[in-house]
Amino acid sequence: MAEGVLTRGRTRDGRSVTALRPSRLRRVWHFTAFGGPGVSVYVCFVLAPILISVGYSLTNYNPFNPPTTFVGLRNYRILLTDPEFLTSLRVTTVLTVIVVVVPNVLGLAIAVLLDRRGWLYNALRSVFFVPVVLSSVVVSIIWTRLLDNEGPINQGLRAMGVAHPPGWLSDPRYALYSLGGILSWQMLGFCVVVYLAGLQGVPPELSEAAAIDGAGPARRFWHVTWPLLAPALTINTVVLLISAFKIFDHVQVITHGGPGSGTTATIAYNVMETAFVANRRGFASAEAVVMLVLIAIGTAVALRLLQRREVDL
Amino acid sequence: MRRVLRPALALTVAGIFFLPLYVALANVFKQGPKIASEPAALPIPPTLGNIRAVLARPDRLFWVSLTNSVIVTSLSIIVLTLLSAMLGHYLARSRRRWTRGLMLLLLCGLMIPPQVILMPVTQVLRATHLMTTLQGLILFNVGYYVPFGVFVFSGFIRTVPVELEESAAIDGASPGQVFWRIVFPLLRPATASVLIFLGVWIWNDFIDPLIILGPSQGTTITTGIYRSIGQYQVDFGGVFALMFLATLPVLVFFLALQRQFVKGLTGGATKG
Repeated sequence: MAEGVLTRGRTRDGRSVTALRPSRLRRVWHFTAFGGPGVSVYVCFVLAPILISVGYSLTNYNPFNPPTTFVGLRNYRILLTDPEFLTSLRVTTVLTVIVVVVPNVLGLAIAVLLDRRGWLYNALRSVFFVPVVLSSVVVSIIWTRLLDNEGPINQGLRAMGVAHPPGWLSDPRYALYSLGGILSWQMLGFCVVVYLAGLQGVPPELSEAAAIDGAGPARRFWHVTWPLLAPALTINTVVLLISAFKIFDHVQVITHGGPGSGTTATIAYNVMETAFVANRRGFASAEAVVMLVLIAIGTAVALRLLQRREVDL
Repeated sequence: MRRVLRPALALTVAGIFFLPLYVALANVFKQGPKIASEPAALPIPPTLGNIRAVLARPDRLFWVSLTNSVIVTSLSIIVLTLLSAMLGHYLARSRRRWTRGLMLLLLCGLMIPPQVILMPVTQVLRATHLMTTLQGLILFNVGYYVPFGVFVFSGFIRTVPVELEESAAIDGASPGQVFWRIVFPLLRPATASVLIFLGVWIWNDFIDPLIILGPSQGTTITTGIYRSIGQYQVDFGGVFALMFLATLPVLVFFLALQRQFVKGLTGGATKG
């Protein structure tokens, strides 16, 4: 490689460095060869589509109802008062709260329970993780059968003397919470594994020192272990938040947004329905853009709040 | 007393948690009529009839879906690994301001929901005649998951001493040689995480193949299962058998590579 020039210099913090400083042409070529393919696919299939979506959200685009005209912010103004959209916002919020809280709390409890060495605990950890690697379609169908009005759960309830067990998925009052339960079941193992890793990173000396100072198990957990689990809490919360906000698969397979009108229709589900079933693509794009903005704000706020709690040992 | 309590409690909780999977598993080996009448009972006598029926379906739903899923998943993850390792390396080693901006732009991709981009993506694919083709789906997967690959690889590369690369460069190796001969072999743990996670995600992906492969032609494993519950009077023995067969590869993969799974997942859960 003759074109490279060996230069000797100092970095900003004063270390002496020797580095090969390639010519500008070689640098461009280096980027094109190494970064080019990845960046161009990302631009074509993610960045450009986002910009196109933003563009469409300002039009009344509908492939079966031309002509497409520029309507400015009208779609967004309609969204603000659109009952269907506001319902989906509420549904998504309820689901997100359930999915962020339930697996986090239960996951922590189960991780504390399983935080021992030995084959039994390893095997049980795997049991909890299995639903995480299952397809959401498979999980949805399993639970559709379980929660069916005549399914095993209601058969069991009847056998125990409940005359009219609830229609878990067919009653508009319960369907959303059943959905939240199913999602929590699937995500639980993820939290368990992340918390277990966090627990195993807590030095036992700290707990022992606190015990010598007279702290009981509850105080030791709350004042020693829990603060050190902050990074695990951050990961779990952010991952759950992002995945809860874009829930689509389970709604599509289990409830189709019902029962009744939109009792379980999430924003993600509504976007797909508006775009591909109703073909109101301009309007769907506006919904999608709002969804993206909400996810971005939610993730940024959660990250900021949670990372502030993380302490360095 | 306390020594029995913890294992007993752990077993009970895990048992309750496992019940749905038990019911699903039992129904795979249960005769058709019993699935509706006694869904929670043990499959006695067990039957392989459901599985045999799925394998012998005249529309070959399982075999077609399996082939498609294998092709899409394996090609996607191979291309993704190579592209994101190269891009991740470039970004991790570059100190320029614009590459930091590019990195940030890529990381944003980690949270973008597919719903936001799918509609324009179908247009891009239609314009390039790749809509309803496996190639189109693979290309989309590569674009959509490249941020995850870059995130894992660049994070890992920062822990590899740069001196190795510098000395190879001083010895006269080109950037390509430095990367493929020195860096890439060192990235094995990161490569394993990327292959494992993206493999499972893409195998289980539902909405993307549903939209990109279209309603009429081509199903992957997940969309195949979805179609099989929609089209006619549902034969649940068949559906459970299909789900079982579709899940088996992922499950075997997971059980064989558990340790790497957990390692990849928890890299960031502990500090230091």
